[in-house]
Amino acid sequence: MSLLVFAGASQFAMVQLFSQAAPTPVIIASVLFINLRHLLMATSLSAQLRRLPLTRRLFGAFVLTDESFAMATGHFRRGGRSLAYYFTFAIALYVLWNVATVVGIVVGGAIGDPRRFGIDFAITATFIGIVVLAIRHRADVLIAIVAALVAGGLALAGASTVAVITAGAVAPLIAVFLRR
Amino acid sequence: MIWVAIVGAAIATYLTRSLPFAVMLGGRLPPVARRYLEALPVAIIAALVGPAVVAPAGTLTHGAEPLAAGLVIATVAWRRSLLAGVLVGVVTVALLRMI
Repeated sequence: MSLLVFAGASQFAMVQLFSQAAPTPVIIASVLFINLRHLLMATSLSAQLRRLPLTRRLFGAFVLTDESFAMATGHFRRGGRSLAYYFTFAIALYVLWNVATVVGIVVGGAIGDPRRFGIDFAITATFIGIVVLAIRHRADVLIAIVAALVAGGLALAGASTVAVITAGAVAPLIAVFLRR
Repeated sequence: MIWVAIVGAAIATYLTRSLPFAVMLGGRLPPVARRYLEALPVAIIAALVGPAVVAPAGTLTHGAEPLAAGLVIATVAWRRSLLAGVLVGVVTVALLRMI
């Protein structure tokens, strides 16, 4: 599954749904909803990838994840230009993800709950850091706070599948209406 | 049946990622669209953070994550270092979850 569906949140949701013997169309529709946020990320990255031929762009799309999007955005915001940064990170992540999947199958039962060590927060902390470093205008601060609160609120309300795409699409409207 | 679901999910996943790359916007964008697209990356990443801080396990946080998030923001703003921020965040969360 990790080889074909390179999408962490979707894979966990699928495992959950498999265990409940959910119908196949429900599983596919859930994955589609969870991944709608990548429409926004790909749109945002497409300005940088414009220089590449179509085949390269379509390969880049396969390895697009929250993490590679965030790292590449941080890189471009710091003035970086090279697309090698994105591809290196994204491909390395794909390889590691699949190696870790095999390791997890073999020894997973012995580890216990990894949340105890706060490891799950490493990605969150990285994303927070990228946002802080990417802030350029006062409006960015407002947009980041609104996006985080709207997405968090939606997740609490039980709409976690559409939380990121909704908040991510709505918050930038602030930049449109707010002259800086 | 599981394999049908996996292949279907693979196609659904790939569609959301490849559509914007396949259909590239041509020419110059109007200023309104440019300002929207410029603000988009920060909004998306912040939106990924929100649920992980407010509702880490699907339910309301007990306080560890928001506190750690505050410390991460302060650390990165002060040291301009991602690594320092991540270390502070992980250690804070691990310690607070022990109590």
